[in-house]
Amino acid sequence: MGIIKDQFTTKSLVLIPIAVGINLIGGTLCSLLKLPLFLDMIGTILIACLSGPWIAAICGLVTNIFLALVANPVYLPYSVVSMLCGLVTGFMVRSGFFESKWKAVITCLVCTVTNTISASLITFFVYGGATGINGTSFFTAAMIAATKEILFSVLSTSMLENLIDKGIVFAIVYSLMSKIPRRFLSQYSVSIRKRPAET
Amino acid sequence: MGKTILEVKDFSFTYNQAINKVLDHVNFRVDRGSFFCIIGANGSGKSTLCNSLVGLIPHYFSGEMEGGIRVDGMDVRKSSIGELSQKIGLVFQNPFNQLSYTAGTVAEELAYGLGNRGVPGKVMQEKIEHMAQLMRIDDVLSKNPTELSGGQVQRVALGSVFILDPEILVLDECTTQLDPLGAEEIFEIVKKINGSGVTVIVVDHDMERVASYADEVLVLSGGRAVKIGSPRSVFTDPELEQYGVNPPEYVKISDMLRKKGYTNRETAITEDQSIQMVKEALKG
Amino acid sequence: MEMSNDFVPKNTIIEKMNPNTKLLAIISLGISTLIFPNPALGLGVLIFLFVVSCIAKIQKTFLKVVLGFGIPITVMLLFIQGLYSPKNKTIIADLGFAQMGLEGVLYALKIVVTLLVFLGAFLLMNKTTHISNLVAALTDLGLPNKAGYLVLATLNVVPQMQKRMSVIRQSQEARGVETQGGLFNRIKAYIPLLGPVILSSLIDMQERGMTLETRGFGINGVRRTTYVKATRSPMDKPLNVILILFLLIVLILTLLMKFGIL
Repeated sequence: MGIIKDQFTTKSLVLIPIAVGINLIGGTLCSLLKLPLFLDMIGTILIACLSGPWIAAICGLVTNIFLALVANPVYLPYSVVSMLCGLVTGFMVRSGFFESKWKAVITCLVCTVTNTISASLITFFVYGGATGINGTSFFTAAMIAATKEILFSVLSTSMLENLIDKGIVFAIVYSLMSKIPRRFLSQYSVSIRKRPAET
Repeated sequence: MGKTILEVKDFSFTYNQAINKVLDHVNFRVDRGSFFCIIGANGSGKSTLCNSLVGLIPHYFSGEMEGGIRVDGMDVRKSSIGELSQKIGLVFQNPFNQLSYTAGTVAEELAYGLGNRGVPGKVMQEKIEHMAQLMRIDDVLSKNPTELSGGQVQRVALGSVFILDPEILVLDECTTQLDPLGAEEIFEIVKKINGSGVTVIVVDHDMERVASYADEVLVLSGGRAVKIGSPRSVFTDPELEQYGVNPPEYVKISDMLRKKGYTNRETAITEDQSIQMVKEALKG
Repeated sequence: MEMSNDFVPKNTIIEKMNPNTKLLAIISLGISTLIFPNPALGLGVLIFLFVVSCIAKIQKTFLKVVLGFGIPITVMLLFIQGLYSPKNKTIIADLGFAQMGLEGVLYALKIVVTLLVFLGAFLLMNKTTHISNLVAALTDLGLPNKAGYLVLATLNVVPQMQKRMSVIRQSQEARGVETQGGLFNRIKAYIPLLGPVILSSLIDMQERGMTLETRGFGINGVRRTTYVKATRSPMDKPLNVILILFLLIVLILTLLMKFGIL
């Protein structure tokens, strides 16, 4: 518990609103550019790298609460997904799996799997298979007609989307982390170990 | 001069992972009720010093710290920022980063710090009205703070700090991003606050202003306190320019007049003194 | 997607109620619908919510959101669960390529009404409550100030970021950067723009954290007060009692039905 509490400093907490904003900007950008993606976890993954797993989990929760307040409460159950992704990524980063490109790829894959499984379980158990809020639901329906296995269908559509989506998200976060000024970065506990001290 | 309200003793600070000390064995005292100015080139450690005075260092920004700071008897290292905020308040450069972003109106913004102390609604209302008058923002109390001008927001920020009744106000280049009129308004208010007995510590680049307002001036260079004294003793110091600080133009004018034999008065450092000197020189 | 808490004061009795009463309504009505074994109760609650939306003068928005979400998901779920649910035993229609089962249809309807009750109740709370009012009410209940900060600051900061982003977008378009073209081109034109916005925002937030700290954000053990006072109405108390009783009665009925007594 002590370690968890250590992460909840004001300077970590204030990053949450901006990370939520980054999550939403990614999503807006996708609909603006008509990209068939979400890119709605850039902020959560970034904050997992800066402030650790628990702050990232809260960031995921707040993002979904925000969407519920201003857009559509349908997103609320999916907060579990963002929270799990934040937690998993935060713990991976903490154990050093963001130090090099290849380690980041592994974290990305683990995050993708976490996302896919948890999102599918929610779509399946909460919404009975469809949320009606995006195009993939129709694809899911077509897959169901073809395979007649609801859970499997939900899983496989989700996996494909997620792999591409998280790949781009992680690439963006990885490049951002190398551009953040050192003075700023050194104030956050998780990320600092991986870059050697400058002179 | 009264007794010391703030004491910085052998204070050094190094940010996490940095090699060089931002502040290097700094020593000085500030007298109660005085108007104290800190000057120095960019990167000399002025902002770090201000952050240390209010406890943001070491409680918000982490790093290696040596020595100590006492604010009206409180040890900064041992007191929380919240406890310190009853004694000392900080206003810094960017007005829009000094809003709480939890308030829909200026009145709510002013109330934010009071709410964190559990001040009851009735007292809150009285304090807000009083502060709005002092800061000349009573006409915008019900407006959204993010929609105001930079100068107005900076007065809201000053009000939000001063409403907590601190005995010391630290102003870290708080007018740098404002237009001249907005800056002047802030300084008029600050002067008034200082007149009511509040100690004021100001970091500023405008040396003419420092010369006319300051009781005492501290010069920082490379993280070290290289000079401290009255504005006259600091600005007439021939070594000043090597610390990256240019004295007010009036100092150059006096030197010129003296060199050419037009005057033998002591160096003028403010506008008024300079005008007086030029007048006499013209007569003679 | 529009992102603002577009609360418009309409001076109705629903607005004057304490936000916590509305939150209790979401919980009580939502959970009742969720646990009750068939969709009939949820349907009743939905009609009740519609009546409330008329009193709150937001029936248009209410219908738009509830139907806009309700119709597509009903169709989709009837298709998925009605035709392919493994629980299907009683066949009620034969579509040729698949058969529609009663169990799947009922399950689909149950999910739909439950979601709609939560959605509708939440919508009513959201559209009739100013967000500062909600946070003030939650603070009265003992909500930690850090949680209140997160909700309020997010609602304030996000529109700002969006504004910053759209300024950049417009200037990019003015400079003739393509927003059309292939997928890769579109990504290449916009992803680099994210960087500066994100970096400057991060540094701004660190400074805003300084502001919070110097205003006593971290003070512990103080019961916080707010400038905005939560609205209260004489209806709050009786309504709270009714809502809790309703949930209890539904719970008892459900248990009785489960054990076959009713």
